[in-house]
Amino acid sequence: MGTENRGRPQFPARPAATPFAAAPPQNMMPFSSSGPVVGSEASGFRPTPPAAPHPTVPSSTPVVGSQASGFRSPPLARFNDPSVPPPASNIPPPVGPYQHFSASAFPSTAQAPLSRAPPLGQPLGQPPAPPASLRPQSQIPSVPMGSPPQSINFASPNVNVPYSSSDSTFPAARPNFQSSFPGYARMQSNADSQAPPLQYPFPPHQGGYAPAPPASSSPFLTHQGGYAPAPPVSSSPFLAHQGGYVPPTPVAAPAGLQSRDQMQHLGSGPPIGSIQGLLEDFSSLSIGSVPGSIDPGIDPKALPRPLDGDVEPKLFAEMYPMNCDPKYLRLTTSAIPNSQSLASRWHLPLGAVVCPLAEAPDGEEVPVVNFVSTGIIRCRRCRTYVNPFVTFTDAGRKWRCNICSLLNDVPGEYFAQLDATGRRIDLDQRPELTKGSVEFVAPTEYMMRPPMPPVYFFLIDVSTSAVRSGMIQVMAQTIRSCLDELPGYPRTQVGFITFDSAIHFYNLKSSLTQPQMMVVSDLDDIFLPLPDDLLVNLSESRSVVETFLDSLPSLFHDNVNVESAFGPALKAAFMVLSQLGGKLLIFQNTLPSLGVGRLKLRGDDLRVYGTDKEQTLRLPEDPFYKQMAAELTKYQIAVNVYAFSDKYTDIASLGTLAKYTGGQVYYYPSFQSAIHGEKLRHELTRDLTRETAWEAVMRIRCGKGVRFTSYHGNFMLRSTDLMALPAVDCDKAYAMQLSLEETLLTTQTVYFQVALLYTASCGERRIRVHTAAAPVVADLGEMYRQADAGAIVSLFSRLAIEKTLSHKLEDARNSVQLRIVKALKDYRNLYAVQHRLGGRMIYPESLKFLPLYGLAICRSTPLRGGYADASLDERCSAGYTIMTLPVKKLLKLLYPSLIRLDEYLLKASTQVDDFQNLDKRLPLAAENLDPRGLYLYDDGLRFVIWFGRALSPDVAMNLLGADFAAELSKVTLYEHDNEMSRKLIRILQKFRERDPSYYPLCHLVRQGEQPREGFLFLSNLVEDQIGGTNGYADWILQIHRQVQQNA
Amino acid sequence: MELILWAICFLIDLALLASTFYQILILTDLESDYINIYDTASRINYIVVPEFIVQGVLCAIFLVTWHWFMFLMTVPLTCYHVMLFLKQQHLFDVTEAFRFLSAEKKFRLIKLGFYLTMFAIVTARLALSAFEFLADADDAEHLF
Repeated sequence: MGTENRGRPQFPARPAATPFAAAPPQNMMPFSSSGPVVGSEASGFRPTPPAAPHPTVPSSTPVVGSQASGFRSPPLARFNDPSVPPPASNIPPPVGPYQHFSASAFPSTAQAPLSRAPPLGQPLGQPPAPPASLRPQSQIPSVPMGSPPQSINFASPNVNVPYSSSDSTFPAARPNFQSSFPGYARMQSNADSQAPPLQYPFPPHQGGYAPAPPASSSPFLTHQGGYAPAPPVSSSPFLAHQGGYVPPTPVAAPAGLQSRDQMQHLGSGPPIGSIQGLLEDFSSLSIGSVPGSIDPGIDPKALPRPLDGDVEPKLFAEMYPMNCDPKYLRLTTSAIPNSQSLASRWHLPLGAVVCPLAEAPDGEEVPVVNFVSTGIIRCRRCRTYVNPFVTFTDAGRKWRCNICSLLNDVPGEYFAQLDATGRRIDLDQRPELTKGSVEFVAPTEYMMRPPMPPVYFFLIDVSTSAVRSGMIQVMAQTIRSCLDELPGYPRTQVGFITFDSAIHFYNLKSSLTQPQMMVVSDLDDIFLPLPDDLLVNLSESRSVVETFLDSLPSLFHDNVNVESAFGPALKAAFMVLSQLGGKLLIFQNTLPSLGVGRLKLRGDDLRVYGTDKEQTLRLPEDPFYKQMAAELTKYQIAVNVYAFSDKYTDIASLGTLAKYTGGQVYYYPSFQSAIHGEKLRHELTRDLTRETAWEAVMRIRCGKGVRFTSYHGNFMLRSTDLMALPAVDCDKAYAMQLSLEETLLTTQTVYFQVALLYTASCGERRIRVHTAAAPVVADLGEMYRQADAGAIVSLFSRLAIEKTLSHKLEDARNSVQLRIVKALKDYRNLYAVQHRLGGRMIYPESLKFLPLYGLAICRSTPLRGGYADASLDERCSAGYTIMTLPVKKLLKLLYPSLIRLDEYLLKASTQVDDFQNLDKRLPLAAENLDPRGLYLYDDGLRFVIWFGRALSPDVAMNLLGADFAAELSKVTLYEHDNEMSRKLIRILQKFRERDPSYYPLCHLVRQGEQPREGFLFLSNLVEDQIGGTNGYADWILQIHRQVQQNA
Repeated sequence: MELILWAICFLIDLALLASTFYQILILTDLESDYINIYDTASRINYIVVPEFIVQGVLCAIFLVTWHWFMFLMTVPLTCYHVMLFLKQQHLFDVTEAFRFLSAEKKFRLIKLGFYLTMFAIVTARLALSAFEFLADADDAEHLF
């Protein structure tokens, strides 16, 4: 700690030479922004099944008819010759299905977007005769345009040109489908979900889906059958398609595009000139509508959706292979602006998200380096740790710091010869010179005191509500079962205090056979009844601790005390812990009502919302909490708050303790051990057993001219850039923003180095160092190309939550929107001159999900709606949680996965553990829900299983047993003795194992079961329009309009 | 009489000036990491309330002695102090120290400027009244 302090960076004024010649950032190849699309395309192609079974075509002809005609050939004719009246209405149904079998499956898909402009008012139920159907199908290839568009279409999917003019008509026609075939709408988007930017080119799915017989199970079987085998056809078009991106497509393409473009842009603006240029530069979304049309003209299916989850920026890692893994450090853009003026045009946050102790998969652990003889090699001036980017010169006698470019001497013991290329000959034995992440064993000069042992102290509310909810029982059992797994054996220390209206101390001295309880009821003047033995070594006092935990539930079994002297108890715990520091786990069941820090019921005031006083509800009410938090941090005590109350507990105040001590808030509203016990058990176990870094400080250093200015997360700043973290673990991430100090950066690369100095549970003092390099660029477009949406969203959400503490919710939401608008506006200005953009919305490929995540932030629990949309405690606890979440988990929380389960459960699958099909996430909109289906909603913190109204009773009975008809709020899911139930439980277990940091509790909800359904489930469907908030399409439109204003 | 008043004001203003300057010094030290935030906060918070009170007293003195101009000059700051106190924002917040550091510093710099202006005025009035007092004494002598 001490030396960290000394090592405060003093950014030198000396001009830096290029420290690392091997990094040519300026002339980096402008990489194609269309990469990801290729991926999604590919997945989109796979399912095009040649073998889509459609035995039911005759029976469901009307359905097919309406669809196929709605999506298929008529518009072709119309586009070729607009004067020709659309023959649409009698275009027969089975076109889609039949085309599956034709060799020209791709031409047909390629044309599909064209054909999405059916005449309005398509007669739905018109049953065309199947024979007639063949005729138009054969016509399609013969249409003059047939072949060129084929290649074009694939060459330009991210331009999305094809959608434009047809959009306006399509949504108008769609409601018809929806009303008469509710099931269809869902299935359709089911198919769509696989190819985010380019759904429409695959109407054959719809052909495959369309013949849905009324029975709920079979369509999905056929559907899956259709998906599973990758048809041989798919590979070659895919290649052709890929080729379309990188080199310019065959000669036919531009011409074809042009003509296509003319056709398509009937309503939405002039034809576009340099399509090829556009392909490389950006993605776009057509928002052009026919003038005068009321319809927004946006195609909800074409909107980008992160259905594959978070994608870490690969390019960055490839450019600098020695950078640390993105799971430790993610920059919001991996291209640092070279001037302040450029930085001011980048309206998104410029910064980084750091998760210093992220869990590494087996085999990729951070190597531990012990510089016993030489001491840790650091730069003399800026205190940078030696890292892969330093260069050795002068025959290996000197090294140049990559951050401040100072020449340092190499200590004698560290000296190694350089080979002909200037590399050290011992490079392969030096992980600190080859790996972006290393851990140094710190010698004694990095210690202010002997490394502390792991300390776990429990502050337990034993008032009557805690007893009644069963919390004490679960907690005591869990702690007892974790005693063996607490890290740091045999040094680990534990202690307990319980409190209601008095404070109970426990003497756990190892020589005792039973713990001694001492009650202090003088709350005004807290004193410790014993000087020591309140905090004892676990291995010595093991049996006493076990006896205590066993007797704790019965000890307070009939406690009727409703008061809670939380403040005085906290002070007592602080006094016990102040010698060593450690982790303080607070189990709080009621609102603190006695002594210092007592709180008032203040959360239930509806009238405060919307006024200037609104934000005070989200701030700690009593300054006691902030003062205590500061004191706790000073003495290296981290607080984790577990709150259980069914009534208002003022999480805003209690959580402050966790916020400034690097802790975490767990909130279990209306805790009942029967329902929430498992969740508490899992999360408490995780909290107690995960690898924890103690008495840590963290600092991030960066090159000259750049400086980190603000930090966001749960910690306390001890000096301008030193974060005090009494305890850190793998589930905590910290965000920070940087700014340029100099008007012009002269270096070509900026280096970032995160250093976390901590005490490991084993008692070793260590420094974990992550180093990353990023190029300096002069071009705004490059910054956008290198942007990392995940990191940006993470910073955005933290900033928004911080804003709710000083502003109204409304203001916080608006600021998110405003920044997205500003960013897109500047991006648009980049290209508006070269390309005529018309009514299209353009965005960088790297940020295609940003608007959606922006919407999701505004709809997230801490920011959503007003008074009634979430209780104050839930808002605050979610806010505290989001402030700690690493990027991946945050994105999962913002855009949860929605998965259809019933088809999987019904499938008599031989490979039981085949979860591939289950990874198919659906867009989060209610229209994707089939009343005959069973869906799993998973946001990483909880599961919601949604039972469709028309779900087959068999399924419900199998899963829920005899309770299947009961009200689902009272039903818990457990394993029943049948295959389906076992399967479901296995699925849930599988999902839980993927991310062990939280235990998603399973909520069951039936369609139409209000208000539970709305509260638990519907309000979380971020793409839907709920209660005056925007749906996804409206949101995009709104952003687009604002971008275009004064653009 | 006037002379005593201005002498008191002079001393009070000097004290305010010193306290503000001291706070700025501490904040600058904090910025460059010569002092830790816990000490910063305890030192600053120790003198915040006394400073507010002294400033209020100064304002009150001007009011009761009917010095309209000086009263109107000091009353906005007094009101601001009262507002800060009522909102419980008058103390230096350890937990968010660095977020508000620049704002706190700016506030104190402005206050320093204000006290300096006051200091100039008060010194002038003090000199003036001292001169008048002496002149009156002379006159009185002459009258004899």
